[in-house]
Amino acid sequence: MRRALAASLGMLIFALLALVFVASGAQARPEATTITLSGWSAGKTEDDLLQSVVDDFNNTHPNIHVDYSVINGDYATAMTARFAARNAPDVFYVDSSIAPTWIKQGVVEPLNAYIKKSKYDTSKFYPGLLNAFKVGKNYYGFPKDWSPLAVEINKSMFAKAGIKKAPRTWAELTAAAQKLASSGAVPGGKPLCLPADWARMLAFVFQNKGSLAKVQSPAVAAAVNYYVGFFKRGLAATPTQLGVGWPGEALGKEKAAIIFEGNWLLPYMKSTFPQVGFGVGPMVKGKVNGNLGFTVSYSMAKDSKNKQAAWTLLSWLTGKVGMSKWMSLGLALPSRSDVKAVGGRAPFLAAGPSSRGWGFPNFSATLTIMNNDLQGVIDGNKTTAQMLADVNASLKG
Amino acid sequence: MTSGTEAVPAPGRGSFFGMRVREAGWGYAFVLVPMAVFGLFFIYPLVYGIYISFFEWGILGKAPGATAGLQNYDTLYHDQVFHRAMRNTFEYALLVVPLEMALGLVLALVINARLRGRAFFRSAFYVPSVVSSVAITTIAIYILNPDGLLNKIIGSDQAWFGDADTALYSVVGLNAWTTAGTVMLFYLAALQSIPTDVYEAAAVDGTSRWRTFWRITFPLLKPAHFFVLVVFGIGALKVFDQFYLVSQGTGGPEYSTLSAVFYIYQEAFKSANFGVGASAGVVLFVAIFLLTLFQRATVGRSEIG
Repeated sequence: MRRALAASLGMLIFALLALVFVASGAQARPEATTITLSGWSAGKTEDDLLQSVVDDFNNTHPNIHVDYSVINGDYATAMTARFAARNAPDVFYVDSSIAPTWIKQGVVEPLNAYIKKSKYDTSKFYPGLLNAFKVGKNYYGFPKDWSPLAVEINKSMFAKAGIKKAPRTWAELTAAAQKLASSGAVPGGKPLCLPADWARMLAFVFQNKGSLAKVQSPAVAAAVNYYVGFFKRGLAATPTQLGVGWPGEALGKEKAAIIFEGNWLLPYMKSTFPQVGFGVGPMVKGKVNGNLGFTVSYSMAKDSKNKQAAWTLLSWLTGKVGMSKWMSLGLALPSRSDVKAVGGRAPFLAAGPSSRGWGFPNFSATLTIMNNDLQGVIDGNKTTAQMLADVNASLKG
Repeated sequence: MTSGTEAVPAPGRGSFFGMRVREAGWGYAFVLVPMAVFGLFFIYPLVYGIYISFFEWGILGKAPGATAGLQNYDTLYHDQVFHRAMRNTFEYALLVVPLEMALGLVLALVINARLRGRAFFRSAFYVPSVVSSVAITTIAIYILNPDGLLNKIIGSDQAWFGDADTALYSVVGLNAWTTAGTVMLFYLAALQSIPTDVYEAAAVDGTSRWRTFWRITFPLLKPAHFFVLVVFGIGALKVFDQFYLVSQGTGGPEYSTLSAVFYIYQEAFKSANFGVGASAGVVLFVAIFLLTLFQRATVGRSEIG
């Protein structure tokens, strides 16, 4: 009887111990937190690369599982719907141009508290790019990559005109354009292909010490007149006038000898116009170096339910390890000075310190006014002063 | 006999009434589902859109502390870009609708004449209406390029979509061509419903063909005129995709392809000013509504129903 009691007591204790053991075992292996990551697609190569970067993250972070999915179609519209439904991805791309709008709408999480808590070092990012996602003292995202503008030239046209190298200053640019025109080096085209687009002209504004904050200043007007002056002197044409979709196509079809485009031109020329010999030089310099940074951030949704995990992902992707992996194919340029770019990108990287993020308040409406007015100035139907007054009003509206 | 006549309809009337109720019940039951869909996806958004137009409205809904008012309408009143968009839209509609009607009527008359291979022509004229507008516009961009097919034929270097003086008219021409086939079908149906005896009477009187057309055919097509005018007029005022494509989403050159719907899209989805976008939508809706009433009062009469 006693023995039986002891045996059953022993069994009971064993069972209890086993239960505690199993329970603690379950606690030691918690379910991984699943978070979502989304962006637009820039082609299969890039999608695959990002998936492999995400796989790396998942393998090194057993507590977090990242689901990466591409948002197809109009990204801004699709994201607007997701924000409105309180169903945004935890971490997502934000283009510098739309960042002010989304930040103002309160759908992007400020990162300052996380930066402070994890002592994250933001000093490695190029300040001009980081500032594109900063409002007041708050950071709303870290740039994942970027590209500035550079000078791209047609080598054989330059040789025909007897010009040795890509222009580096405004004076050299004017001289090169005139030489190309007078030597007839660009048959059926123009020396320069310049779009009626502030996404190109604003770089010249910055080079002349102009800014959007004081858009009605003489410095801005002088830069506009320099840009438009190429049309007035018959040295430039818009892509439309040349019958192409964008300046890159004008370079490829040999309808222009000089264009100003970013890193995205290189894979395009390689795949579409491999026979055209072109050179890349740093962006021209006016009174100062000035350039636009076309950049995209990783940001966190205000409505994210797993903010700590989202921060871990965001800071890893934009950190040295994540960004180095992301740069391995040379699809874009690193936005951190401590991450190396693949070869041949020196003319672009030179613009790192002098680039400012492409974006401003009331972006979409203002850009419509900027570019339609600029076309008017080029066509002689509007004055520079009228355009700058319109732009100023829209930036404030 | 009297009792008989009274006796027979009495139960008949009762069952007739019952049958009508049953029929009506079934009718409403059948209508219920489409009405629910219509109400949920059309009436509700319409009313809600009008409501939104009186507030400052962002991605997450009504802006904190927003009060109802006409501020969005005031913004539109002062926005030169919106004025230009409305002007472009009406100029476009004013040009494209008569052109579509004229072209459609001519095509219908050609096919209605007993010529050889009319089945082929009917399909050939209708094909552009079937093809996606995006595909047709993309091809048109190539054809109307400075070094495109059209300029090769006429020996010019005009950038048709790239010049502020020609961009709008180029889209008018493109869309008149693509929609003329559909207009043709409506006119063809109407032409074939005109009784032949009026033509026979005209022939007996020795009326010329020209006079027959203007005095008989054209007036008898009035219901078709009204239908085409209203349906295609509304369609023209909602123009978006062709303008968006030819200007690469800029509304340019020099605002010449900026349409009202483009403005609404940009304000709502690009700038997240849903209040302003909704109020522009209301203005466009009211404009279309008034215009349709006006057309009904002038071109259309009660006999059209």
